[in-house]
Amino acid sequence: MDARPPVGAKVVPDPAVPQRRSASAFGGRRRWYGYAFVAPVALFLCAVIVLPLGHAFWTSLHRVRGLNTTFVGLANYVRVLGDEAFWHSLYVSLVFTGASVALHMALGLALALMLHALRVARTPLRILFLTPWMVAPAVGATIWLWLLEPQFGVVNYLLRALHVTSGPVAWLGEPATALAAVIAVDVWRGVPFVMLLMLAGLQTIPLEQYEAAAIDGATAVQRFRHVTWPNLRYLLVVASTLDIINTIRHYDIIGVMTAGGPAGGTEVLPVLLYNTAFRANRFGDAAAIGVALLVLVLAFSIVYVRLTRPDRVEAA
Amino acid sequence: MTRLSTIRTAVAAIGVFAVAPLAAQQPIVLQWQTANLTESQYEPVWKQTIAEFEAANPGIKVEPVLVARKDHWTKFVAAAQAKKAPCIVSVDLTTAAYNGYLLPLDKYWNAEPAEFRNAYTDAILSAAKWQGQLYGVPIWGGTYAEIYNRDLVTKAGLDPTKPPKTFADYVAWGKKLTGSDHWATAVIGGKTDTTTRVLLTWIWANGGEAFNADMTEATFAKNPKSLEAIKFYLDFAGKTAIAAPAPATTNYLEQTTLFAQGKIATMRNAYWAVAKVEGDNPAMKGKMFVGTNPANVPNAPTLATITASSISSSCANPDAAWKFIKFDAGKKWSIARAKVSNWMPMRNDLADDPEIRADPLLAQFVKIGENARSYPLPSPVWADIASNDIVDAVQKALLAPDKTDEIFRDLDTRLTKKLRDI
Repeated sequence: MDARPPVGAKVVPDPAVPQRRSASAFGGRRRWYGYAFVAPVALFLCAVIVLPLGHAFWTSLHRVRGLNTTFVGLANYVRVLGDEAFWHSLYVSLVFTGASVALHMALGLALALMLHALRVARTPLRILFLTPWMVAPAVGATIWLWLLEPQFGVVNYLLRALHVTSGPVAWLGEPATALAAVIAVDVWRGVPFVMLLMLAGLQTIPLEQYEAAAIDGATAVQRFRHVTWPNLRYLLVVASTLDIINTIRHYDIIGVMTAGGPAGGTEVLPVLLYNTAFRANRFGDAAAIGVALLVLVLAFSIVYVRLTRPDRVEAA
Repeated sequence: MTRLSTIRTAVAAIGVFAVAPLAAQQPIVLQWQTANLTESQYEPVWKQTIAEFEAANPGIKVEPVLVARKDHWTKFVAAAQAKKAPCIVSVDLTTAAYNGYLLPLDKYWNAEPAEFRNAYTDAILSAAKWQGQLYGVPIWGGTYAEIYNRDLVTKAGLDPTKPPKTFADYVAWGKKLTGSDHWATAVIGGKTDTTTRVLLTWIWANGGEAFNADMTEATFAKNPKSLEAIKFYLDFAGKTAIAAPAPATTNYLEQTTLFAQGKIATMRNAYWAVAKVEGDNPAMKGKMFVGTNPANVPNAPTLATITASSISSSCANPDAAWKFIKFDAGKKWSIARAKVSNWMPMRNDLADDPEIRADPLLAQFVKIGENARSYPLPSPVWADIASNDIVDAVQKALLAPDKTDEIFRDLDTRLTKKLRDI
């Protein structure tokens, strides 16, 4: 027989049983146990997040030339924010992120709806659609680099065979097509994850809602508009916020495919940061760009944290 | 002394005696990083060099660090910042020395016999110095010249024995060598410093200068001859229409691939490109010839890259590293690199070596190299401006040819600011 009091019941100490320690002393000790258990993780997070962030901020206040360092205060920030390249990169970042996230959401939702509606081959198709997401971004980018190669690439070969183009198209040779190409590759890589999230969301919608809508004579479009969409809206907002945070700091695909070129046409902020640090050897400036990028990511993270507050989740 | 401390002392002593012989047996491990270790034409040479060096120096092991060319500098910088850079490196010497990544080698150099030191001219050694100190031993180089596909030249009705001498001759040849699916040449505009190298050869061939003598001012647009050459060269991909498409993504690899596939008939490159082309397409063996860069001024210099071996400032065993550098700089390996890898020797005692003279193409490159300026240019910010600013300007001008003047004027301003902010 379980002698424990029911949950929520007030426990009154038995005066016959001697109390060895006061409640406050016991609570204090328990609190220390808690700190002790949390300490390893807290130390680990300090080592991998807080210290590097602190070091990056420290670096951003210094003029770093190789192993020679001089304190310059906010001069790096002034230089970076006064440089046209930074604002151009910010613009490219916003275009890249906006287009990529919008396409991730639209295509991810469309694929999820299609897979959800399927009655056969759902699992193999799900695995097939997930493949791009399983491939390492740098590997995928290298594959696309060769597919888009102007002279010997498969894409140009197919387009010419289909008489869509007459000569070789330098996809990565013009800023507009290069940006479109890296967005396309990012969409290819990012859609499966959103698709998976949406599919999970679709499976949580109670069937009764669809049945009720069908009884009311709702068409497929009306069912989507009045049943699916309201049920998925919260998930879409959370997924797109997370996707923005992921995409705005994305480096791999652009780093491999264009390194920010041609003529800065695809130089998003992380690529500018990399080029400033490792090609130009201006670590102080690069750290200042990193801090600016961090502020941008933090802004979206705050939105995400607010959206996922328990009371909001409950309401959704 | 208590019993416990006695036991501790005894255990420590046993430990020291047990470990000491093991430590003494541990060889010194030297890491070696150059951009070229991953190139197939060099692989047999460096493997043999290491094997023979280790056999001659049993206490030293050499561990090659294989890095793709485009990641070479960034990986080195990251390691150097962490003070964990490989001991022996070949990097942009002035930039690396300025940043404190390299060890001055004068102590070792001055201790060598005159026979070794005299194998290098002062001009070549000056390319390995920064602020009067020696930071590397020149190991090999590459002279840039115009390489032609003999079959395509002949097929176009041109005479391979009379390659173009002037800019106008070159365009006349270019028109004849260009067809619907093949082109005379490729304009290099990809995001590496090869773009800058080739651009400089055209500027110098027109009597222009990209920088003033003390490297404190950029003159790409300020010098009319430079701007004229830039426009002339970039126009190959524009109005003149003799260059392959997609110049902004064309680099050393794409250029040599196009040449090996017979898509372009000429390329501005160094002797090593011949090995690359023959590797890509063995049928090209013996079908290439080389000419001096077409020029509008007499005695126009070409560009010769100089690759030096240096010791990183974080190297724990600089004496052993110097041993390897000296070994690698020996005659045997210089000749092997020239014959197998198509890299030109830097030692002046090899210019008339029978083995070098036996290869007519190499001999021609050596002759052309007699009138060459060394590269990289001596500025601590060279690695940055050569692979970023100048390349960006070239790409912008390729995309908007009518704005070339403005783009290169902006480049002059930007570079002058950087050159003076040291």
